[in-house]
Amino acid sequence: MWLDEADGFAEIFKGYLPYYLLVALPIFIIMSPVNPVAASHEFSVYRMQHYDLHTVPHGCRSASFNLEGRSLTSWSTSRHCVVARVQDISIEQFMEIRSKAGALLLVLPKNDTVLTPEEKEHIQLLEMAMIQQEVSAPVYFARWSPDFEDILRDLQHSFITDDKSGTALEAMMNSVSSNGYQIVVSASTPAKLDSKPVTLHGKLVGRSGSAQTIVIAAHYDSSAAVPELSQGADSNASGAVAILELARVFSRLYSNAAVRGAPSILFVLTSLGHSLNYFSAKKWLEEQLDSTDAALLQDVSFVMCLDSISSAPTMTMHVSKPPKPGGAAHSIKSRLGVNINHKKINLADELLAWQHERFSIRRMTAFTLSSLQSHKDPARSTLLDTPSESAIRNLADNIALTARALASHIYNLTDELNQEDAELYNDALGVDEAAIRHWYTYLSSQPRAPQVVTTTPPNAGVTGALERALSRYMDVTVSTHTVDKREPEFTLYGPTRASLYVYSVKPAVFDLILTLAIVAYLTIVYFAIQLFPRFYEEYAKIVTGKSKVH
Amino acid sequence: MTLYHFGNCLALVYAPYHMAYKFSGISEYATFSKCVHAGGLYIFTQLCKMLLLATFFPDTDSSHITGEYNVFLEILKATVDFADLLGIYFALNSVPGKGHAKILTSAIGWASAEVVVTRSVLLWVGARGSEFDWRYVRSCAESNVSLLHTAATAALVWLWTRSDLPRKHSPVVITLLALSPYRGLIEEAIGSILSLSAWALLALRAIHASAVGLTALGMYAVLAQQIGI
Repeated sequence: MWLDEADGFAEIFKGYLPYYLLVALPIFIIMSPVNPVAASHEFSVYRMQHYDLHTVPHGCRSASFNLEGRSLTSWSTSRHCVVARVQDISIEQFMEIRSKAGALLLVLPKNDTVLTPEEKEHIQLLEMAMIQQEVSAPVYFARWSPDFEDILRDLQHSFITDDKSGTALEAMMNSVSSNGYQIVVSASTPAKLDSKPVTLHGKLVGRSGSAQTIVIAAHYDSSAAVPELSQGADSNASGAVAILELARVFSRLYSNAAVRGAPSILFVLTSLGHSLNYFSAKKWLEEQLDSTDAALLQDVSFVMCLDSISSAPTMTMHVSKPPKPGGAAHSIKSRLGVNINHKKINLADELLAWQHERFSIRRMTAFTLSSLQSHKDPARSTLLDTPSESAIRNLADNIALTARALASHIYNLTDELNQEDAELYNDALGVDEAAIRHWYTYLSSQPRAPQVVTTTPPNAGVTGALERALSRYMDVTVSTHTVDKREPEFTLYGPTRASLYVYSVKPAVFDLILTLAIVAYLTIVYFAIQLFPRFYEEYAKIVTGKSKVH
Repeated sequence: MTLYHFGNCLALVYAPYHMAYKFSGISEYATFSKCVHAGGLYIFTQLCKMLLLATFFPDTDSSHITGEYNVFLEILKATVDFADLLGIYFALNSVPGKGHAKILTSAIGWASAEVVVTRSVLLWVGARGSEFDWRYVRSCAESNVSLLHTAATAALVWLWTRSDLPRKHSPVVITLLALSPYRGLIEEAIGSILSLSAWALLALRAIHASAVGLTALGMYAVLAQQIGI
């Protein structure tokens, strides 16, 4: 039989099998892919802001890393990626990590409504500190998930932080039994994004004969340390919603020739806000004023900017020049019954304080209405600017108040005379809370950071939605602005998101100990096989009840 | 994890098979080709089983999605494993020589083929990646248990083929043989009832395999004394 004939060959084959493997294995290794296994944990992570403003770099400058994960207390070199909860890391620690660690991964709170006010303030301040300067190490943020909780716990407990605590054996056992994590993000190197900021404007034409124009403006982008996670509910979804609602209210009044007001009303939605120095407003003003046909902004009565009007039921009027009694701004002020906060324009500052300053620079009467007391409030650019139920109520109240003040200014009513008038007002100027809620929820569910808003085409995304909404009430013009090629006012960088892989790994010493254990086990197997004939004899004796007969 | 870790796992799988082959005395019969033959029979049997499963059983992927666990279907599928016993029977027949040589040769060939087919890809892909998981070490240890189990099953099949098997032993042999296709199901059922961890389940498997093995060895000893080998 051929199988019997093959015995000779088989003997050779058998004798050399282990040596044969020595040749075969490297061939296999060369042939197979480098890292054939998918990690057991894969997360979506969001990269920190990365932009230049007037060629001054801000935010994190790199994207990829492949480092060992460590906790806040146990990291030591640039070969470590620090993993921490965002509420645990202090600003001093961040500064140290910025200069020394290899990467930083921050996990957001599970639910930001349970944070204490101190924690919220801490996170806001941390964000400000992070954005202030450039960070050479990659910084990523991740949403909370149970898997991350486990990883964080493992990292916190697996390393002896103080070298003196515990004996050497204890430390060794600890490092053997611990779970290490290798954290890998492979993203493309940061590259400039092709940013096309836009401005939407639409006009409700007043009675003929009067050329006065009232401008109502708001920016609709949001600003936070992480572009993809910046919901910006208060700053400035609230302002954009107010524009839409005011446009709806006044388009109804202006559609009827009998009740049309004298001045025209111009609604302006700009795509870049305070984080990029109101670039859209600046460019838009240049285009409108410096073009030969400057009809749109010829006789501006006043410019009203709306910014962050949902955090409190009251508003403050921010001006760069105190309004003169008898002027339009003063009339609005007294009709709104708000306090004035006067702050002079400081052109030496890196950023302008409020959007109205862009208009004030061009010699227009301008003010900003905001619920915030100061432009330095960290709540204007934070991850924690998320939608809330009370904010919707504040927003509706503030919009109603503004609409009423505007209407009474336009129709020049001194006060509401009686109950009948008040009802008439309510009927004509009533805000649609359902629409406000809808738009507020929609806008604050979308990331609207400059990196997102200005890189999507103007007829898509948030810009497209706002344009379609506004064009229901008036003709809307979309102007696209370009950044100066040689001296860019700002530069945005991507990518803004990446995939993070976490591999659980063991230290090298663990493999050595595993080898020892396997060798011990194999030795036992070896002796078991060697002793098997004797065991069999004894066992056979027991089973058959007598010794072997031979 | 690393190539070193892969080496560890490989040693854990390969060395017991090698030692069983070298030190059990069957290597003196120059039976390596017989081992290969038994391995070939294993692969052929698996192909036949797959053909049966694919022809007569509904698509299992859809039931995985719905998450239903159909006990009856699982039992039916395990029944197909009787083909394994048939395969081992043919392997035993093809090996010349005394009883223990027959049993060990076909068991080692059969179990080696099983390890190569079912575990080598998993190990190659898994244990060499940078992710560490105890699963791979466990799977290697499991392959040792399966060698023991295959040997016990081969011994039972051999006993069953003997016409001079003591009459009182034959019900035990037949019961154990009839249960052997269902051993995986039974072990897993016990594991899930007692909610055992993966390592405890492995220990359970080892205990089960050695219990069956010792029973088979006892009957073999009685028979061997009777016929004088």
